[in-house]
Amino acid sequence: MTAAAGAYAPAPPRRPRRTPRRGGGREMFLLMLPALVPVLVFSVGPLLYGIFLAFTDARSGRNAETSFVGLANFGDLLTDGDFWTSFRIGMIWGISVTVLQFLASLGLALLLDRDLRLRGLARVLALVPWAMPPVVIGLMWRLVYHPNAGILNAVLRDAGLLGHNVDWLNDFAIALPAVIVVGVWTGMPQTTVVLLAGLQNVPRELYEAGQVDGAGTWRRFWNITLPQLRPVIVAITSLDFVWNINQFGLVYVLTQGGPGGRTRLPMLFAYEEAFRFGFFGYASTLGVAIVIVVLAVLGLYLWRQMREAN
Amino acid sequence: MRRRTALAAAATAVAALIAGCGGGGGDGGAAPGEPVTLKFLSLAWQKESISANKQLVDEWNTANPDIQVEYVQGSWDNVNDQLVTSFEAGDPPDVIHDDSPALAGFASRGYLLDLSGRLPAELKNDIPQAAWDTVTFDDGRGGTGVYGVPFLQESQVVIANKKLLDAAKVRIPTPADPWTWDEFAEISKKLTKDGTYGVAWPMKSPVNKVLNLALNFGGTFFSNEGGKTTVKVGPQEREVLQRIHDQLYRDKTADPSALGMGTADPLPGFYAGKYALLPAGVYLRQQVVEQAPDGFEWITLPPLKGTTSEQGATSQTLSVPADGRHPDEAVKFISFFLNGPNQAKLARGDWLLPTSRAAAGDPSMTTEENGWDVATASAGNLVVAPYLKVNGFDEWKSKVATPTLQEYFADKISLDDAARRLVEEGDKVLERYAR
Repeated sequence: MTAAAGAYAPAPPRRPRRTPRRGGGREMFLLMLPALVPVLVFSVGPLLYGIFLAFTDARSGRNAETSFVGLANFGDLLTDGDFWTSFRIGMIWGISVTVLQFLASLGLALLLDRDLRLRGLARVLALVPWAMPPVVIGLMWRLVYHPNAGILNAVLRDAGLLGHNVDWLNDFAIALPAVIVVGVWTGMPQTTVVLLAGLQNVPRELYEAGQVDGAGTWRRFWNITLPQLRPVIVAITSLDFVWNINQFGLVYVLTQGGPGGRTRLPMLFAYEEAFRFGFFGYASTLGVAIVIVVLAVLGLYLWRQMREAN
Repeated sequence: MRRRTALAAAATAVAALIAGCGGGGGDGGAAPGEPVTLKFLSLAWQKESISANKQLVDEWNTANPDIQVEYVQGSWDNVNDQLVTSFEAGDPPDVIHDDSPALAGFASRGYLLDLSGRLPAELKNDIPQAAWDTVTFDDGRGGTGVYGVPFLQESQVVIANKKLLDAAKVRIPTPADPWTWDEFAEISKKLTKDGTYGVAWPMKSPVNKVLNLALNFGGTFFSNEGGKTTVKVGPQEREVLQRIHDQLYRDKTADPSALGMGTADPLPGFYAGKYALLPAGVYLRQQVVEQAPDGFEWITLPPLKGTTSEQGATSQTLSVPADGRHPDEAVKFISFFLNGPNQAKLARGDWLLPTSRAAAGDPSMTTEENGWDVATASAGNLVVAPYLKVNGFDEWKSKVATPTLQEYFADKISLDDAARRLVEEGDKVLERYAR
């Protein structure tokens, strides 16, 4: 992520100044302490504990004895069909939400970058979903999707597009796409804002030069806007991917992983393993595995982007 | 020197933080003479039921200044996650409202207090053994114990549109002479006409419904040999599955669009005359009474009969945690809360069946009004559901049985495929718990 963040804010090249003062480390440590302690206690500690649990057979229960089992959990994970199903769903979810989010947000950002009337108002409106907690969004969309009382069915039926009510969130085939739509909607504001900020940083002279050279709208977009936006795009899509693959609250409220596990994202799967079935160790293994996968996917993506950029 | 100060400061900060976290645990052990406060986690959700619960708590608090009970509202949706967390954290509520399927798992993990030997004889004798069986579980160390007091039970009845039944001139069944499944299928055919379906089977959560009804034909779904539990789907288990499927796709007497619905969702269609019969738990009567349009006539029909009318029963329960600070006081409160007259009040509030014999004899439980007589009589058909004793049932239900049955009822897989998945994938799940 640091690489992406660095690319995102291309600072003028400044030579890092060295401070060869000796003994400054100790004071610095003391000054950092108030900030460091909460990080250690609430963030690093639980993280290490979680990683440790992944190598044990920890289960819930007063009379449960925990023992070290090495890589056994990882072995079980590799042969667990339910995990792979859930993993596949997670990937479909993570990638499609990120891609759709990006495309929709780019469109919206281009629009908001224009000199529209009421542009200020439109920009504010585009931010509204950001202000809502995922649980509220989930509840709201559950009402939208409600088979009998939902506005979606009502509208589609009035328009004559639908003969009978569809139970969007309980249909085996439709549930995942329906949830993905909500995911896209939820994540659009931050993506839009970041892309809009990026757009406003594109030097106008480039467009003028392009126009003089006779480039049409499409050429200008393809050859000026996109390359200029590239660092921003790389940063926001990778951030979005991490956020999306780790999404929990939204889907938990919408479907609880149903129907029949069709929307059971990896995080929901891990939650169920731990708090419903009581296999803490195995659930931690799941968590660690997802971290590894996310890091691998991101690493590959960023590496390719960086290489192409160079 | 300076480094040591820094380390000491860090240690102090950490200690303070930890102390801060641990200190929020509540009042701790009360000194003698001081009133004890019990937290009562209640899952009542219907309006009448919440007020009945709160009224009983108030009554108790007035009569027992030494043992004060604090009503805490919980929800069925997430109670088990909440309880696991609070058990692990060591700060569970002192009196826990839950149901017997959940207790099985908690008991084997040692979270709950064995109540056998702690309950007063009066309460023990008022509740029949069949109900106690629904709360008797392995303790996870080779013994068994009683891990809750069962107080409300649910049976599956059929709620029917009276006008449509009369128009079709069908026989109205009685508890002594109920419809058989064959008769039910025939009558559903008669009732299916002019855009009306005979029956609606809401199967969003099909597992408990199917497993409870399967006992009509002796289907248990699990067998235990030599201490090892396996899933079994034989001819007896297939009966109810096949019959419901037939109604949907062969007879076309059941509305397929009701399949994805939760239990209460078909009600608007039921009032509108879209379906004549609605198999449902007895508690659904409450919503019919409250919401049905004026002039809508309905009756409660007794449970269907296969080879028997037996249905699998689970109970709502009150339990005491093993780590509780005031187990004796909690048992006292439960004994009061679940005595005969109070159970009648709770059953009326929730429109369910009381386990207490005294409560079942209460005139309000046997009146013909709103089908209470039929409902209360159906309690006689309840036997302990076999799946209650299966360790790992919850995971089997969530990962294997729910999707499989949903796909089967949606006609996406055949009965043979469904049976094979229930058994093969099911046995794999159960193996995890046998380790």
